[in-house]
Amino acid sequence: MRLQRLLIPLLVVGALGALLVFGLLRGAPDKDIESVYLGQSAPGFSMELYEPYHSEYGPTFDFAEYAGRPMVVNFWASWCLPCYQEAPVLQEYWRQYQDSGVLFVGIHTQNRDHHADGLTFLSQFGLSFPNGYDPSSEISIDWGLYGVPETFFVDADGRVILKHIGPVTPELMDQQLKAMLQ
Amino acid sequence: MDLQLAPLGSAAAFLAFGLALYGAIAGMVGASRRDARLQTSARLSAVAGFIVATAALVVMQVALLTDDFSVSYVATTSRIASPTWVKVVTMWAALEGSILLWAWLLSAYTALLAVTAPLNPLRPWALSIMQWVQVFFFGVVAFIANPFELVPFPPLDGPGPNELLQNHWMMAVHPVLMYLGFVGLTVPFSYAMAALITRRPGTEWMTQTRSWTLTGWGFLSAAIIAGGWWSYEVLGWGGYWAWDPVENVSLMPWLTATALIHSVQVQERRRMLKPWNLILVITTFSLSILGTFLTRSGVVSSVHAFGAGPVGPAFLVFFLVVTLVSFGLLAIRWDDVRDRADLDSVVSREGSFLGVNILFVALTFAVLLGTLFPLLVEAISGDKVTIGAPFFDQVTLPLWMLVLLLMGIGPLLPWRRAEQQRLKHNLLWLGGGFLVAGGLAVLFGVHKVYPALTVALAGYNIVSLGLLLSGALVPRLRLARRPALQVIRSYAHESRRRVGSMITHFGVVVIALGVAFSAGYRVDQQVRVDFGESVEFEGYTLTAVDRYVERTPQRISAGVVIDVSRDGRLIHTMRPRLNQFGDRRAVPTPAVMYRPSHDLYLNLNSQVTPTTTFAVLRVVKSPLVTWIWIGGFILALGTLYSLSGSSRTVPARASVGVEARGEEGASA
Repeated sequence: MRLQRLLIPLLVVGALGALLVFGLLRGAPDKDIESVYLGQSAPGFSMELYEPYHSEYGPTFDFAEYAGRPMVVNFWASWCLPCYQEAPVLQEYWRQYQDSGVLFVGIHTQNRDHHADGLTFLSQFGLSFPNGYDPSSEISIDWGLYGVPETFFVDADGRVILKHIGPVTPELMDQQLKAMLQ
Repeated sequence: MDLQLAPLGSAAAFLAFGLALYGAIAGMVGASRRDARLQTSARLSAVAGFIVATAALVVMQVALLTDDFSVSYVATTSRIASPTWVKVVTMWAALEGSILLWAWLLSAYTALLAVTAPLNPLRPWALSIMQWVQVFFFGVVAFIANPFELVPFPPLDGPGPNELLQNHWMMAVHPVLMYLGFVGLTVPFSYAMAALITRRPGTEWMTQTRSWTLTGWGFLSAAIIAGGWWSYEVLGWGGYWAWDPVENVSLMPWLTATALIHSVQVQERRRMLKPWNLILVITTFSLSILGTFLTRSGVVSSVHAFGAGPVGPAFLVFFLVVTLVSFGLLAIRWDDVRDRADLDSVVSREGSFLGVNILFVALTFAVLLGTLFPLLVEAISGDKVTIGAPFFDQVTLPLWMLVLLLMGIGPLLPWRRAEQQRLKHNLLWLGGGFLVAGGLAVLFGVHKVYPALTVALAGYNIVSLGLLLSGALVPRLRLARRPALQVIRSYAHESRRRVGSMITHFGVVVIALGVAFSAGYRVDQQVRVDFGESVEFEGYTLTAVDRYVERTPQRISAGVVIDVSRDGRLIHTMRPRLNQFGDRRAVPTPAVMYRPSHDLYLNLNSQVTPTTTFAVLRVVKSPLVTWIWIGGFILALGTLYSLSGSSRTVPARASVGVEARGEEGASA
């Protein structure tokens, strides 16, 4: 008798629970926006480089100048916490892969008037690949940035093969760099 | 080495979790073994838990105020340039911090209850339930969404809180009110559970928690009104309610709580609706958890997306545990709970309370269905549908009208059965109020159905309040040989609950009028105006005088100066603007000209740069919209007035429980 009565709440809560679990597993519908440039040529850009990179790459970085090289284009900002998590990973992979022909480039964006904070960020992690700044956020608009950090993997033909939202991981870097260099 | 805040805060959160867990278990064991020492130790752990939780809160505040970006929550949500008040309230501007605040409020209420609640068989169990709820919240803080994680490479600055929230001081108020409401309603839930566990489902649990329930309800009402006002002042569309899921989920527990504060009176007076009240109190608490789950998990798409995370599943599990355990317990105890008295007549106070209960539950069901319907359709057919405001308006408006109808007649009906003569007399007056107000409204050009009906019902309700007051005051005035003012004052003083409910109902009437007119007769237009030129809008001349830019460390504002004149006379200067906080997207700050008859609302819809020669404005005229906020104040005042009296009645009735059981036995 008592067990029978338990059946009603069990059924109602169970049905509601099932619906909500479905909602949860379905995931948020608006996430994972794919880049429109996927498989397409990456939009070119040119930007001022930070002073420490001038001796090796010159004062301005022009994307077109490096055509033919696979590229890892990383967007970051000095106020962005995940950027601090991924910076050591990027530097480590740059150290390993810089002689393989791939070029890393970092863009400090969405941080108008905070040019100097970027410099502190760069020296904190000793980033040795070229890093520049995008004071008016134009490059980030051209590249269709959703937020920071975002990393684009561009192959030797200049096509975007992957846009990664959020901090990069060693697994991702391993996998993508191997694929790009094949 | 410096004192590190992150581990300190984490330690406090863990400790609070541990204390809650200890208190919950010790309380249960102590209660079932009738071990007074264990019970006392559980109470002490509630107080200790509050102290430790306060320490966690202080650590978070220190971290925010000192811009300590080695604390993860600060790094992800704060910003050096924010003014101090923004830093303080940043604590509840994002998920992790707001759960910490919720947990802290819960620990505060628990400690207060542990110290002040009179000793009776329910208390140890109720405290234990409160502490189980704390176990969940501090568990989330400590293990799932810890705001105190240590950031090994602290950033130099953070992004700052959500730009829409930074934009208005009301962000400081609305969430706190909401949590105070939810937490307040946890108390009657805990006592109800205690009543079921101890097989004492009489009125004891309600009289014990009457003021907590009313406090929770009052805060929730204030939170909903404040949320509407915030959205009006910030979002730039000139409205205050959009039937968005996040709004709906705050409305649902309010609806069931409203039903509850009415139907508990039936149980107090007539020993009826026992199971019903238990169902309502469980549902109210469950809905507050469900709401948090829905808005924090990304399950239903909402304009207020908080983003998905591990917190969603945790709340889902908690919701399922709460509903299963509490409804399961109710099912097991059903024989103890069942009503033995019957309704004597539908035309009675309890009949009207029952009616209003049905209406509120129907409203809750409609809102729940509308909110979850898109998910249901997707689960069954895979199609994506949206349920918009038209559905909610069509379904709920007739119900709201019926609520207004019952609100007028209910308080005039006596308990048990209405006497024919008296009833006719009252109905005549009420009908007169309805017709006169409705007739006047139609005469003055209110031809839309719902606004006209609302005016008629407002007139009817005002008459009802008049009848209630005269019914109470006239005999007193006749008998007393004192000045009228003194008699009125002493009535207002003695019958605080009654007078408080009248004030609250009056507030509802005011809100209803505000909603009916601002929704029914709103004029909304987009205009383009060149600088130096004017446009006409609803009898106003709007002249775009100039543009301006203001810079503060926190933000850059670019706006336009609009002179508002009427009949050639300048009456107001308005400055709608766009604010940019750091590098977040620009958000508008509308300019509002508040007037009793209608608001004029300007929102800047175009960019302002040194070279722009024109502005695009959204211009909205909303009649009577201000009365919604005023009605909200009246409602809060009425609640406060009711509460000011009940503190005395609660202890006096605290020991009624045992007799109540005896009485029930007799009446059966």
